Amino acid sequence: MESGKMMINYEHRQAGHCESGATSNLFNFKGIALSEPMAFGIGNGLYFSYLPFLKLQFAPMISFRNLPNTVFHRSMKYLKVDATVIKKFKDPKESMLRLDQNLQKGIPTGMQVGVFNLTFFPPEYRMHYNMHNIVCFGKEDGVYHISDTVMEHPQILTYDDLVRVRYAKGPFAPKGKMYWINNIDKELDIRSAVAAGIRKTVYEMIKVPFPLIGVKGLRWMAKDLKKWPKKLGNEKASFYLGQILRMSEDFGTGGAGFRYIYGAFLKESGEKFNHLELLEASDMMGKAANRWREFAYIGARNCKNRSQPQEDYGMLANMLVEIAGMEEKVYQKLDKIKL
Amino acid sequence: MEPNSDPVYTDKRHGQHRELFYNYDKTGQFKKTVGFHDEMDRVTLQQAWDLFHERIEEARVKVHEGKVSPIVYYMEKTLVDPLNLSMLAGISLWRVKRHLKPRIFNRLSEKTLKKYASAFNISIEELKNVE
Repeated sequence: MESGKMMINYEHRQAGHCESGATSNLFNFKGIALSEPMAFGIGNGLYFSYLPFLKLQFAPMISFRNLPNTVFHRSMKYLKVDATVIKKFKDPKESMLRLDQNLQKGIPTGMQVGVFNLTFFPPEYRMHYNMHNIVCFGKEDGVYHISDTVMEHPQILTYDDLVRVRYAKGPFAPKGKMYWINNIDKELDIRSAVAAGIRKTVYEMIKVPFPLIGVKGLRWMAKDLKKWPKKLGNEKASFYLGQILRMSEDFGTGGAGFRYIYGAFLKESGEKFNHLELLEASDMMGKAANRWREFAYIGARNCKNRSQPQEDYGMLANMLVEIAGMEEKVYQKLDKIKL
Repeated sequence: MEPNSDPVYTDKRHGQHRELFYNYDKTGQFKKTVGFHDEMDRVTLQQAWDLFHERIEEARVKVHEGKVSPIVYYMEKTLVDPLNLSMLAGISLWRVKRHLKPRIFNRLSEKTLKKYASAFNISIEELKNVE
């Protein structure tokens, strides 16, 4: 086993979002074509939360994605697939042994990792961000072969590096979490899974009774955005605004804080079930996503010229409120749809 | 302003890592493109790194002046706060905060220094001497 060669014939496909990409690739390995947007939509990847009392890299925590492992876990649940998730290992050696056993059995295994020490990752993204997902599909002479859907090609990691990223510390520490698919029936009930996924997403975006989550959180953030320049000064306000844009555009989102991917999901399922209302919703989502991109374009001007803002923060806040309204309409529409 | 509907650079000068982007065009199709981030996205990333580098430089100066211990410099360099460092090194938070003072840092045992060095992924020599 020490120097043995264990390679699984696993196809690496690049994706916009790490976890839904991994999920979709794992399905593909089992011989079921499930595209990335479908995995993302069924697994409730779409989310918004604004937590100003928590700081991530010196700016308020803003998240456009769900908690780690939600996409995999929920898509397995809704599609009724037999899968295993091991939440944590106390002993790193034990978790690596388990990974080796899996590889020997020919099971590609997904893992949650921290980004900071990921050696192949682009250096400009290496911040303490612990919600990244990779799939390990082979071991050769002590070197692990990794499929990271953000990257264009498969990568390699040594044993020590892999242990370090799997046991990264900080908020949402991975603690060696790993997951894999055991068995799939060839007949999947995609229709009910899509319905369940949409219902849950709608709940999370407009019905959660907490003001910082979903569309309400978006409105709250817009309100705060207006106050930032006066409260914090131009320099810091632009850094906070930059945090919104970094989260929505830079960190492997496929653009516009995953709104494009969700729109693609609505479109694909609309075409699959020949459902007109879903197609309309996807069009609305696409337009909201384009508006997000516009917001990022205009906002980035303030980040470029930090001490003298070119754009009015009030205007940007109004734009956010408008986006919140656009998104809310989509969710209200989805809420009424019967599948 | 109408943003570019295909906001992706395919030019090699904009980075080494190509990523996948989705976008929605006027005909109502969601498209996937592989390319580099456009300039606006790079601006926001650069902004974050500028702040981090600034903080690292500040910490370096303070260490050389003898105001804080080298741990502060390496903390800024690896972008962690005392809480995360205490988890990484396995040393309790109040002790980590104490070790930020140079007077106390200089009295640390080899064992504790080793814990910090492995947390920062450097050698003890490097930990003691900030370049």
